[in-house]
Amino acid sequence: MNRLGTATLALMAATGGASAASAVNLDKEPRTIVVTEGGTRSEITIGAGESIQFCPSGCFVTMPNGDRAALTEADVLEISDGGGRVR
Amino acid sequence: MPDSRRQARAGTGFRLPQRPAGPINRGSKSFAGCAVDVIAAPSPISRLAALVFLLLALLAGWPGAQAQVLPTAAPFAAQRANLAAYTGKTDDLERQMRANAESDGRLAEIRNQLDALSREILASSVALRPRISEINTRLDQIGPPPGEGQPAEPEALARERAALQQEKAEINALIGEAEALSIRIGALTEQVAQMRRDLFASQLWRRYDISSALNAGVVADFAREAQAVYNRFSSWLSFAVRYKLSSVALAGFFALLAATVLMVGGRRAFGRLLEADPDVADPSYLTRLSVAFWSTLLPSLALAVLFAATYFFLGYFNVLRPDIAQILGSLFNVIATVYFINRLARAAFSPRLPGWRLVPVDTPGAWKLYYLVSATSIVTGADFVLTRVNSVMGSPLSLTIAKTLVATVIVGILIVLIGSVKPLRDADGRARHWPAMLRYPLVALGLATIAAAVLGYIGLARFISQQIVVTGAILATMYLGHLSAQALARLGAFRQSTLGRGLEGRFKVDAGMEDQIGLALAIVIHIVVLAIGLPLILLQWGFQWGDITTWALGIAREIRVGSISFSLVGIVTGIVVFLIGYFLTRWFQSWLDGSVLTRGRVDVGVRNSIRTVVGYSGVAVAALVGVSAAGISLSSLALIAGGLSLGIGFGLQNIVQNFVSGLILLAERPFKVGDWIVAGGTSGIVKKISVRATQIETFQRQMVILPNSELINASVGNWTHRNRLARTEVRVTAAYGADARAVQALLLELARAHPTVLKNPEPFAALVDISNVGLEFELRVFLADVYDSGTVQNDLRFAMLEAFAREGIAISYAARQIYQAGPEADGKAPPAAPARETPRS
Repeated sequence: MNRLGTATLALMAATGGASAASAVNLDKEPRTIVVTEGGTRSEITIGAGESIQFCPSGCFVTMPNGDRAALTEADVLEISDGGGRVR
Repeated sequence: MPDSRRQARAGTGFRLPQRPAGPINRGSKSFAGCAVDVIAAPSPISRLAALVFLLLALLAGWPGAQAQVLPTAAPFAAQRANLAAYTGKTDDLERQMRANAESDGRLAEIRNQLDALSREILASSVALRPRISEINTRLDQIGPPPGEGQPAEPEALARERAALQQEKAEINALIGEAEALSIRIGALTEQVAQMRRDLFASQLWRRYDISSALNAGVVADFAREAQAVYNRFSSWLSFAVRYKLSSVALAGFFALLAATVLMVGGRRAFGRLLEADPDVADPSYLTRLSVAFWSTLLPSLALAVLFAATYFFLGYFNVLRPDIAQILGSLFNVIATVYFINRLARAAFSPRLPGWRLVPVDTPGAWKLYYLVSATSIVTGADFVLTRVNSVMGSPLSLTIAKTLVATVIVGILIVLIGSVKPLRDADGRARHWPAMLRYPLVALGLATIAAAVLGYIGLARFISQQIVVTGAILATMYLGHLSAQALARLGAFRQSTLGRGLEGRFKVDAGMEDQIGLALAIVIHIVVLAIGLPLILLQWGFQWGDITTWALGIAREIRVGSISFSLVGIVTGIVVFLIGYFLTRWFQSWLDGSVLTRGRVDVGVRNSIRTVVGYSGVAVAALVGVSAAGISLSSLALIAGGLSLGIGFGLQNIVQNFVSGLILLAERPFKVGDWIVAGGTSGIVKKISVRATQIETFQRQMVILPNSELINASVGNWTHRNRLARTEVRVTAAYGADARAVQALLLELARAHPTVLKNPEPFAALVDISNVGLEFELRVFLADVYDSGTVQNDLRFAMLEAFAREGIAISYAARQIYQAGPEADGKAPPAAPARETPRS
């Protein structure tokens, strides 16, 4: 058990820095956002109540209601009533 | 002393650590490098800086390189102006891209500028965010416009709403433009990458006419060139001496000072570690490693500091001319690097002192490898310097080709030689080659280099030789790191090292723990070696640092196989969460047991039950949380479980039965730890109640493990369920002729006389049978502690014997006559036994 513990803690160090922006869908139905990251545009659908991680290096986001926002790595996007708020 | 069990896999055997050579630097090389246009040679010192930066970035976490400096919340107009500026810059960069299609270095710069521009665009859009949230908040406050048939709202409010919505639309439009620009930059970046790839391919496969390099004219060119270089240097030197002597002297003085301080200070701090001690016969691997490390690092660092300081101060005092500066700079770089490699090879191969060798090769092999490695580094270094000289002096093409030809052919020959060395010894003591997997590729690549050079594919030859040298160096370093991690992980190795001994002394860490720490350190070293070595190799092969991080993060975050995706990060997170939960449960268990339950004066059995239940539920919760943290959706698990449930159910029937019985035992507690129970014919004391079985220790000290289901399904007798009160009986048969009442009174007297027998309930002597043997009496006594029954019975029986003998009461027994068949019987049947049994008194 100790061996496993120490080995795992060592592994943890390697994965410490994996951070990305996240979005949480506070609505009752799935919402689709358009994400432009590094020059490529893609659509991401978030289920009701789900939260996802995306965009490790900043991106532009278009909400379902047409609003736009720019996200950096540590931002959290809250989607409610079709619009979004960035925290 | 090569360990014959270990295969020597030391690659080319030397390393060039400071060569993350790649297009991340300004003025970086092209892979062909010998085209007519001026392409600067790589500069190892800037690569060293890049390496240091790399390490810092790694230590600080992956996204460390992204410095997001948000501009202060500038108003809308300012951001629009910014965006116009960015658009202009993008147009400009596009123009530059088309203009510089032939220059790999410029293209790399353009790509970096595009990246920076993209980040700036993002940042300027982020700067608009405060205003957007203000607008949104205000719009929420104002509320939606009133519907049909509702009282109209004040006009000011309606106007404000319209204005806010208008502004929001404008901001959205601006961000939309920024997004479009960012997409355009992405396309440009891709185009730049494609152009570089095409350029590289065309330069690599370009065939030169080497006959132009092999005629007598080349010698004349070379002589002319050498004269020109000499002239330049001498003119510069005379200029420097005549007008700037004091500056030169000052520069030299400062440089020497810095280097001396470093050397002396290092010697004081690490004195013992700087030289391999010839008297020590068999130093441990870690000792060898540390001596190798310091004896390589310190002198090389001192030399590097000397050169860097000289260059810096000469530049500071404006002594250098641009062309001289470039040549001198590359010369210093190369000398420092070659010196470093030489010292490292000396430490790793240690030809003079076999005991201090780092790689498992024998002595003749060590000498050969040392010389070959040094020669390769010198030739490659000379090639770099001469390339720089060629580009500065604007040498004719024939000279460039000749130089590259000679250099690559020599390097190819050296590589073939390195591959053909026989450095290992097999069991009979004969010299053996490298393992085939190492030897054949090495020799093949060396031959390929020579062939490519001779056939005129100079670019290809240069590329191959460079890649072999640098990648081989990095791999050799990684191998050394692997060897040292292995040495550390060996049992007992960490304990003997200085650090281990220090830990043992200061923190009183015991031997087992030290071994664990050694193993953990070995794993960490392996991870660090991989984390540094692989990106270096990839950078060397031309990948961009940004690509590498994105790719690595992508791998760590999600691996997709078909429609199933799992994430390494998630799994590690899940394991960590589970471990945390597990240790938390253990701690909670012991805290509950030690603090709460002790104070409550709860008895041991209950405490044990509560503790076990808390443990199981804690571990189950930790497992569930860990699984969901790992991102494994439990629904898929349920599917599998449903499919297998039938088979598992049948197979695990008994186990589950035992488990549930165990839970019932814990809840209902028909017996607890320490009770004396009789179950399934086994009688003993309960030692442990666990999930599947209960352990009972018999009085013969045998541990009987009973499945819990037996204890639930069958009857269990518990002598100590509520209390230890027990009744015990002793039987005795008095012969006919004795006075029955007297016997009864005697028995009662004996019972009362015994100290352990309880007075309440009273002992009772009963005449239980009048049989053909005699008068059977049974003395029943109650005891406070059931464990005394054996002793009391024993005492009472002795007392009865003595009392009966004293009173003259006879004890009757049934007698038997035994006949035996003797040797005189000779086959006849034994005489018949008498027909009746006579009771004897």
